[in-house]
Amino acid sequence: MLYREAGDFKTNYAADQQTFPIKSERWLFWAFMAFAFFVVPFFIDDYWNKAVLMPLLIYAMAALGLNILTGYCGQVSLGTGGFMAVGAYAAYKLMTSFPGMDMFSVVILSGAVTAGVGILFGLPSLRIKGFYLAVATLAAQFFLVWMFNKFAWFYNYSASGQITAPERSIFGIAVTGPSTAPWATYLFALSILFVFAWVARNLTRGRLGRSWMAIRDMDIAAEIIGVSPLKAKLSAFAISSFYVGMAGAMFFANYLGSIEVTEAFGIEKSFLVLFMVIIGGLGSILGSFLGAAFLVLLPVLLKNIMVGYLGWPTDLAAHFQIMMVGALIVIFLIAEPHGMAQLWRLAKEKLRLWPFPY
Amino acid sequence: MNVQFSSSKISTDDGLSPGETILHVDNISLSFGGVKAIQDVSFDIKKGEVRAIIGPNGAGKTSMLNVINGFYHPQQGTITYRGEERRKMRTHIAAKQGIARTFQNIALFTGMSTLDNIMAGRITLQKRNLIWHALWHGPAQREELEHRAAVEQIIDFLELEHIRKTPVGRLPYGLKKRVELGRALAAEPALLLLDEPMAGMNLEEKEDMSRFILDVNNQFGTTIALIEHDMGVVMDLSDRVMVLDYGRKIGDGTPDEVRNNQNVIDAYLGVPHDE
Ligand SMILES: Nc1ncnc2c1ncn2[C@@H]1O[C@H](COP(=O)(O)OP(=O)(O)OP(=O)(O)O)[C@@H](O)[C@H]1O
Ligand SMILES: [Mg+2]
Repeated sequence: MLYREAGDFKTNYAADQQTFPIKSERWLFWAFMAFAFFVVPFFIDDYWNKAVLMPLLIYAMAALGLNILTGYCGQVSLGTGGFMAVGAYAAYKLMTSFPGMDMFSVVILSGAVTAGVGILFGLPSLRIKGFYLAVATLAAQFFLVWMFNKFAWFYNYSASGQITAPERSIFGIAVTGPSTAPWATYLFALSILFVFAWVARNLTRGRLGRSWMAIRDMDIAAEIIGVSPLKAKLSAFAISSFYVGMAGAMFFANYLGSIEVTEAFGIEKSFLVLFMVIIGGLGSILGSFLGAAFLVLLPVLLKNIMVGYLGWPTDLAAHFQIMMVGALIVIFLIAEPHGMAQLWRLAKEKLRLWPFPY
Repeated sequence: MNVQFSSSKISTDDGLSPGETILHVDNISLSFGGVKAIQDVSFDIKKGEVRAIIGPNGAGKTSMLNVINGFYHPQQGTITYRGEERRKMRTHIAAKQGIARTFQNIALFTGMSTLDNIMAGRITLQKRNLIWHALWHGPAQREELEHRAAVEQIIDFLELEHIRKTPVGRLPYGLKKRVELGRALAAEPALLLLDEPMAGMNLEEKEDMSRFILDVNNQFGTTIALIEHDMGVVMDLSDRVMVLDYGRKIGDGTPDEVRNNQNVIDAYLGVPHDE
């Protein structure tokens, strides 16, 4: 019934499993992608890149990662900030130890290192769940940040304790360091996100995704149909951390360029990404993007309105903005607990029936 | 409707011919603290039969199924499944060896659609690894489509077409039970354990469910162990019946034999038993 209104019939199962089963939606998606890849780079400036686009892309990557773990596999994590830090420091060590390495490899390998750390901190999930697991991941968060502060080897014994990304490139174009062009970092992050969002979609639509969701929905029944809880949970931790690690690597190397761990990857990061996932929609790839967009764009928008348009002093605006974002999160959670992805789904259903809503 | 599973599918080719013993339970005892749920029970299940386990509430029927698929570990006794003796077992390994089950209290994946729930039943049959899945197009998708085709046959068979994409949390009770049967069937089990598949159903739903169970047994040759309280259903469906009472076996035989067994009659009429 769903598709009949669109005059779009499914004749085989392959067509039925497509990511965008409806033609118009597919067109919309590719048009949007063409715009992001081929139009935006020509108009991008430093403000848009730093204030909007880079954070959007990088948080979307982190949200995708957390959504795999929490939304698909049902394992709550408050360690996202810590895992982003692992990605960032892995990137830093790789960049400084192997100056010839291209930036794409650096990001992927940083993700791989974080995946390993994720498995380690995922081990408690085999014994504990829910609230207790959340506390265990919180401990991971504090431990990791403490570790990167404590051992000078991680920041190459620099006096400030900060890490700073040297210039690295891909295809001869610099994407880290002080002299990068906004379009270059933007396209770099966009390409990685594009590829790995597609991979996330693939992983979640098949056997692996179903084994995660089975664990999430009812772990006892999952085991009885043959899901190994060990494999399902640890693979979710590994893959989730892989994404979060890549996000951390790009957050440090391509976006900020120089960071101090407590400031950049504190507990607020963990909560921010968790809010993105919840607001966007647990267990939804699209939701990860919507949630990241909401929480990245809203503060920018509010600030522009309050400071630029109403002429409020910046500190007042900053406080007010935090309050507004907090209030909106609460209102949102009460109004639509299944997140923005669900709103989008409902809107589509309405549109499909339009103009006869019966 | 006569559904044919493509020859390689659903066949439970384990080298056993009908009538051979597929499962042997020997002197099983299981207790929880002071509660003796099962006391020294032995019985067997033969390939191709419908084997009923009956008994009053709390008799230990569910516990017996839990022992068979490795969810509970008995303190004493052994289980021989397809010639392999074991005492302890992980449930997901029992699943890989062809034991599937449904639950007394439905245990579906509520966040997933009917289709995904039944597809999940085939997890042990899907082999492609992470890398293929990440790439999707090619082997992973091909495998997925093959399994989808098999699942669609089960959907046809159980008449679930209209709720294929519905999240199971929204389904009425009777349909949930049917989806759960579908998920168990999807695994193409050698031994199917059904824990009160008709509990709480109305007459029509019971008739449908009985028909499905018989068809599964006849068409696919699946061996079934069935717990059921409705005596009419039990007597119609099963080849042999085992009766439990207070954790002990008090009767075992064909439906007629069991019906005329004095111990069984006493147990059901609530004649006090001497301990
Ligand atoms: N996990 C458990 N912990 C403690 N006691 C249990 C557990 N599982 C079962 N029991 C006890 O074992 C006994 C047998 O229970 P079981 O569920 O096997 O009975 P049943 O025959 O399936 O009954 P019903 O017809 O009500 O489903 C009961 O006394 C029950 O309380
Ligand atoms: Mg029971």
